[in-house]
Amino acid sequence: MPAVKVENLEKDYGKVKALKGISFEIREGEIFGLIGPNGAGKSTTLKILATLLRPSGGEAEVFNHDVVEEAPKVRRIISYLPEEAGAYKNLTGREYLELMARLYAKDDGRARKMLELGVDLSGLGERLRDKISTYSKGMTRKLLLARALMVRPKLAILDEPASGLDIINAYTIRKTIKRFAREEGVTFLISSHNMLEVEFLCDRVALINEGRIIEIGTPKELKEEYSAENLEEVFMKAIGAEV
Amino acid sequence: MSDFWVLAMKELKNLLRDKKLIFGLIIVPLVIYPALGKTMQVGIEKAQGMTHVAIVNLDSGKYGEVLIKALQSAPQVGVTVLNVTSVEDAIREASLRKQNVLVVIPANFSESIEGGNPATVEVFGIFRKITPGIKESVSEARINAVINVLSEEIARIKVMKLGAKNPDAVLHPIKAVSLSVVKGRIINVPPEVVSSVLASQAYGLPLIVFLMVTITAQMAAGAIASEKENKTLETLLTLPVRRTTIVASKISGTAVMGLIASLAYIVGLKSYMGSMGLQIGVSPGALGLEMTPFGMLLFALVIFLTIVFSLSLAMILAVFAEDVQSANTVVSSVILPLAFPAFVLMFTDLDELPVIAKYGLLADPFTHPIVAYRYALGADYGPLFWSVLYLAVIAGATLYATARVFSSEKLLTAKISWGRKRRG
Repeated sequence: MPAVKVENLEKDYGKVKALKGISFEIREGEIFGLIGPNGAGKSTTLKILATLLRPSGGEAEVFNHDVVEEAPKVRRIISYLPEEAGAYKNLTGREYLELMARLYAKDDGRARKMLELGVDLSGLGERLRDKISTYSKGMTRKLLLARALMVRPKLAILDEPASGLDIINAYTIRKTIKRFAREEGVTFLISSHNMLEVEFLCDRVALINEGRIIEIGTPKELKEEYSAENLEEVFMKAIGAEV
Repeated sequence: MSDFWVLAMKELKNLLRDKKLIFGLIIVPLVIYPALGKTMQVGIEKAQGMTHVAIVNLDSGKYGEVLIKALQSAPQVGVTVLNVTSVEDAIREASLRKQNVLVVIPANFSESIEGGNPATVEVFGIFRKITPGIKESVSEARINAVINVLSEEIARIKVMKLGAKNPDAVLHPIKAVSLSVVKGRIINVPPEVVSSVLASQAYGLPLIVFLMVTITAQMAAGAIASEKENKTLETLLTLPVRRTTIVASKISGTAVMGLIASLAYIVGLKSYMGSMGLQIGVSPGALGLEMTPFGMLLFALVIFLTIVFSLSLAMILAVFAEDVQSANTVVSSVILPLAFPAFVLMFTDLDELPVIAKYGLLADPFTHPIVAYRYALGADYGPLFWSVLYLAVIAGATLYATARVFSSEKLLTAKISWGRKRRG
């Protein structure tokens, strides 16, 4: 059973066609990357799979649950980290994690374990006692990633997880994702326009441009196919641009 | 703990920790209004202190002296007799001596009284600065009271001289005793006082309802818009929580906070109004207008349903706003015009209006708490039931629409940005 199955997915925003019939599958336990430039349709795809948007056409399933018809069931097994996410500024980091743990766990014991994992994953230590309004962008992102992973979702959907962060914070976040995927066997769907990030993290990638998927494969396969040194070059060659 | 409680507590905690909100909605009304009232009270008390009256006696007869003595013996009145010969000089002198009132007794004062003609005394309030003139007004009233007592006394003496056995009966041949009949019960209170009691209720309640509705609506809209502004909404909507639970927890959290804020405004305003001496001292209960527990229950239901309507309407409107600023503008543009008609009921009785105007006002849910209060005081439960029923339908429909909007992607895609430039 694939973790994610997308078939001919379309999404229109009025006259603008954001997705023009994309199809792909993600295997269970895989880190799958959706890469492409801004406006290619990455975030729209992720939002449809996270049950936030309704597709205009086609189908999408998460662990055999239709994202439209069975949205509540999908929400129970996924965790979504939006690109420009924030957290409740008047809560402390710990209170925020506790709030999320209580909403996912149905008993105190599980909530406590989730919280412990969140505290560990965030790496924020004593700063978790401070209000989120005092956090830097990097600290907030670490907290949000910890929130997304501590619930041990079957599918973690991360939109540009390290976007806009400095090199140290971005590196820490990528390491956390990689370690968590290896240790917990969680399936990841990650969108990024940072090809280096994708190459470091993903088992397989899909190249998306102007609402269409133009290639799918492992970074190694794609580099060989296009005789390219990196995914950036692969992408440029795949869209027919001069390199 | 259920998802509802977890989210409602989060909502409340988030609001209670917002310093700007606490300052604006709780500290300001609880501190500023009473402080303002206290300042006015001090001003009024000062105005009611000693009246400094300057007197010019141009009269050579005995009644001029009698009037001066009467004023000198009056409490809270300090008399300064001026030795000048013209009114202009008297005004200048009184101003220099910082007197509040100038009394001019004319040359023919005693002659007029003795000759059976009305005598005239001129009383000038002296405004040295451009102020509300409370002191001058109080002083003038005090002097007039002394003159009236003296006038009455002189009249009594004159009537007695004419041989009347009971001068009071001659001076006041008819006496009116004012009583009121409220809801068929005779009450030993003049209609003027009953009117004042009812008017105080009519003025106070629309203001309280207006504050309650606008504050809670703004808070509910802010709660949704801040989720958008702080980029927490998308995460919230992907949590394994029913959308109706999210709506209910937001409504409950903001309603509790809104009620706390409204209470703070009511306490602050009451203290302010009380300081201004606007309280009549007779409660509606003393007039036999008291709510029964059943009436109170129906009235509470009306208030509850009005708040639910206001909050859910504000939440729908906030869906179209990108940020808190836009949400406040959108909500104000819709809720304020809906809340304003309630003020019509300050000045008029619903039943005295033309039928169209009456039902037009009743179609507005915000007029119902005011109408319901009057019906509850008068134990008139029939119209109260209709109010509850109408509001239940309206609030239920709005709540359903809110839940529908929250279940759709409108929450993420609908955008109106007011007060901010659109980004290119």
